[in-house]
Amino acid sequence: MRPAMRVGASGGIVTIFLAAVGLIGNFTNLNLIGDQVTFAGLMLLIAPLIAGYVVTAPKLESGSLVRVDRGRAAILGAVAGVVAGSVFAAFVVFVDVFGVERIRAIFLNISPALMDFLVGERPVPVAAALLVAIAVAAGIAGAVYRVLPDAIRKPLGSAVWVTLLFGFLQRIVPIALDQLDIERDWLYSKTTRGLTWVGAVVIALVSAGVSVLKDRKGDAIRRAVAGRRSREAEGPKLTPLSFVIALAGLAAVLVAPHVLGSVISEVLGTVMVFALLGLGLNIVVGYAGLLDLGYVFFFTLGAYSLALLTGATLNTFVGSTAPAIALDLNFYVAIPVVVLIAALSGVLIGAPVLRLRGDYLALVTLGLGEMIVVLVTSPWLDPLVGGPNGMRDITNAAIGNFGFRDPKHFYYLAFAFVVLALFVSWRLANSRVGRAWTALREDEQVADAMGVSTTAYKLLAFAMGGAIGSVGGALFAVKIGSLTPASFTVLVSIQVLGIVILGGIGSLPGVLTGTLVLVGLPGLLREFEEYRLLAYGGALVAVMLLRPQGLVPNVRRSRELQEEDREQDKWAGDVAADEHVAAAASPLGESAG
Amino acid sequence: MAGSGAVKTRVQRVGGFATLPWRRIILIILGATIAFVVVVGSYRTLTLPAAERYSGDFWVDQIVNGLGQGAILALIALGYTLVYGILRMINFAHGEVFMAGAFISFFFADAYVKSGFLNSNPYFSLLILFVVSIVGSTVVAVLLERIAYRPLRNAPRLVPLITAIGASLFIQNAFRGFFGPQPYGYPLPDVLAGSVELFGIPVSKVIIMVFVVAIVSMVVLQWFVHRSSTGRSMRAVAEDSEIASLMGIDVDRIVVVTFIVGGVLAGIAGVLFSLTFQQVQFTMGFKPGIAAFTAAVLGGIGSIGGAALGGFVLGLLQAIGPPLLLTGFSIPSPFSIRDAFVFLVLILVLVFRPGGLLGSGEAEKV
Repeated sequence: MRPAMRVGASGGIVTIFLAAVGLIGNFTNLNLIGDQVTFAGLMLLIAPLIAGYVVTAPKLESGSLVRVDRGRAAILGAVAGVVAGSVFAAFVVFVDVFGVERIRAIFLNISPALMDFLVGERPVPVAAALLVAIAVAAGIAGAVYRVLPDAIRKPLGSAVWVTLLFGFLQRIVPIALDQLDIERDWLYSKTTRGLTWVGAVVIALVSAGVSVLKDRKGDAIRRAVAGRRSREAEGPKLTPLSFVIALAGLAAVLVAPHVLGSVISEVLGTVMVFALLGLGLNIVVGYAGLLDLGYVFFFTLGAYSLALLTGATLNTFVGSTAPAIALDLNFYVAIPVVVLIAALSGVLIGAPVLRLRGDYLALVTLGLGEMIVVLVTSPWLDPLVGGPNGMRDITNAAIGNFGFRDPKHFYYLAFAFVVLALFVSWRLANSRVGRAWTALREDEQVADAMGVSTTAYKLLAFAMGGAIGSVGGALFAVKIGSLTPASFTVLVSIQVLGIVILGGIGSLPGVLTGTLVLVGLPGLLREFEEYRLLAYGGALVAVMLLRPQGLVPNVRRSRELQEEDREQDKWAGDVAADEHVAAAASPLGESAG
Repeated sequence: MAGSGAVKTRVQRVGGFATLPWRRIILIILGATIAFVVVVGSYRTLTLPAAERYSGDFWVDQIVNGLGQGAILALIALGYTLVYGILRMINFAHGEVFMAGAFISFFFADAYVKSGFLNSNPYFSLLILFVVSIVGSTVVAVLLERIAYRPLRNAPRLVPLITAIGASLFIQNAFRGFFGPQPYGYPLPDVLAGSVELFGIPVSKVIIMVFVVAIVSMVVLQWFVHRSSTGRSMRAVAEDSEIASLMGIDVDRIVVVTFIVGGVLAGIAGVLFSLTFQQVQFTMGFKPGIAAFTAAVLGGIGSIGGAALGGFVLGLLQAIGPPLLLTGFSIPSPFSIRDAFVFLVLILVLVFRPGGLLGSGEAEKV
């Protein structure tokens, strides 16, 4: 009971936090389904819902996991909900009594709109009671969801999840449907802009159905794979069916820009650029285990050196002038030069700093990233790169008359480079070099003793990662056609690091997933622009706390993490031998083994 | 968990890339370039024609301002160094702890200046500002430890660093969400306006207060760490946390105390910084944070005296370095690269003397 109250109180505080940063008050008109389910309403429910889910987590008792039974779960959820609701309701009453305008003088987002949404016409005590009731319902829902049998839980979960996702994509999916000339008024309402109830029910049913099907098929596939593994220790066979699926996927990817229109193609172009950056950083961080916080260095280097090599001009107040060094190479001649420059500077800056231990290396690279930004802004390099005004007239990488500036065209150019980078990364991972990096990452001293030249391979990782990152920068320059230093900030480094970490360190599908989640989604959800970095920070912390192996983990890497866990648990067990709690509290290590 | 005192084995390798001492060559070139820039740059700056040369007063001003900022940096740097000493982790979000205190105290300062209280009772209201700022910073620091760092106490080294980066971003943008992205003007009480002559040099009153407060804080910290029983426990945990816990020291409590001490110092620095620059904004923590970390590394991270020394030295370098070294090469507006200068110092210290001025070769350990 006590933990339930504590978690509930945290839930209430989280709701207050959401209100204070404006995630409730600014989105009362963002309808997801009908005009009943709004984003603001969702934010009101989310913390008690999670609180209810958390308090019913199975407990460890004498070495085995004990699930909470259903009646008790509902009670625990209700308690968490009551506490969460009361904390938040107390806050609302306080704001009302103290005067919303007086608080707003400091907390900008505790606004009349927020209070309108929370209290409205109702007398304050009624509104407070209503808030508590809503939180209790959410708490119970969260708790019950945990104890439902799997056969109901999974379809229900995916139905809710997918429906809400479609609700969020209300600016995008209708455009795509219009592009395809598909009638969409039954799905998305023109007045509320969100899903209609009919549409929501259809989507929920379809996704629940898919989930059930996948569950059944999944079992069959697992059995088949297990059977085949025992027969032959080969990789997956290319059956005609999977070949057809792969072809269909490829076709979908290739026609995507024409189906989805310019707006989405533009976002997809950004996704591709960041996927390239992610793939590059993945070599440095994921393969070689060197934490680089200054990856914007290579991004900037790539963008500006491409601009200089292909005859871009400097922005001035009246027009444009030629930079101090003006070459006029073709894009496809310039790219190898850019890659070479980046690889070389990777080695040059890597050499002095690579002997440093992990966290120091991280800060030095952060410094290098900041320094290049200051350099391109400074008046010192003004004649070369245009200082704060930047450059323009960057090549559009045309082949004949076919330019790639148009978002729909750029997509193909970027896609080609992403495929190339994927291929290089994939081949590297399984090569002699990749194995050397793995050895280096796992234990540098042992690798050194085994004859792996640690310095050479670290430099190689820096050079390879830098080369791929510089291609990302060059493509970025082509995409936007003009450069200003404002695009090159330390946030780029952190964004790319977020991609690699969220996706799963060292995992190629992970990098692509991470890019879609961290760059694609915010690109599509423009109304949340202000909250993007807040979500980034929260996501980085949450991933490290809850799922350090990432969304789509690299198999070997996640095993390493588990081993570390086990060793720590063993250590904890040795130290606290008489405190049996410490020894038993290793669900991760045991269940994963 | 890193094996202490591990011996690096060097294997004789044959042929090719690995045989040439690349690192050494690059280091020598780098060192020579820097020596050249320092010597030639300062020579040319100081021998410019009299009309273009900086006056003696300019240098004195720079030194005084530099030391004043150095004192603030030193206070923040102490937070980095204390946490590093105990947990061996870089608390990347410490700059945000500093920002939080400064920002929260702003609302009090603003209310006081509007009601006239700030100028009618300047000393008392300054005291309140310090207390508020300290409370704000400490709360953020403790929450940070409790939520983001404690669950990762035994995780591989880079995991808490990444968490700290995320936390830093999160706190920054939470403050942006609370209070908006615009900068606020921090009021200065009339008693601190203007300057007084000290040994024939005009020194602004704010800088004098910065000095006094910073030095008093450092003396108290020194007393706390070396004389109090909690301080003794802190030193024991910093030495070896396993053994300390076997000796009956509650390591969790000591870690919390360390974060509290760091938060208190950051809160004090927050008010001093705001009074010096008279502006607060949600991004204000990043650059002083990095600079203070540099100061901690410069002095030898983990060492308290080192952090204080590093702060003052870095403040001086930052104030004098760019005009001294760059004006001679006729580079326009040398102050615009001040921030890059901090990073340059960080990189050079880590490359050439990773242990810092007062430390040992700690950073070389794997």
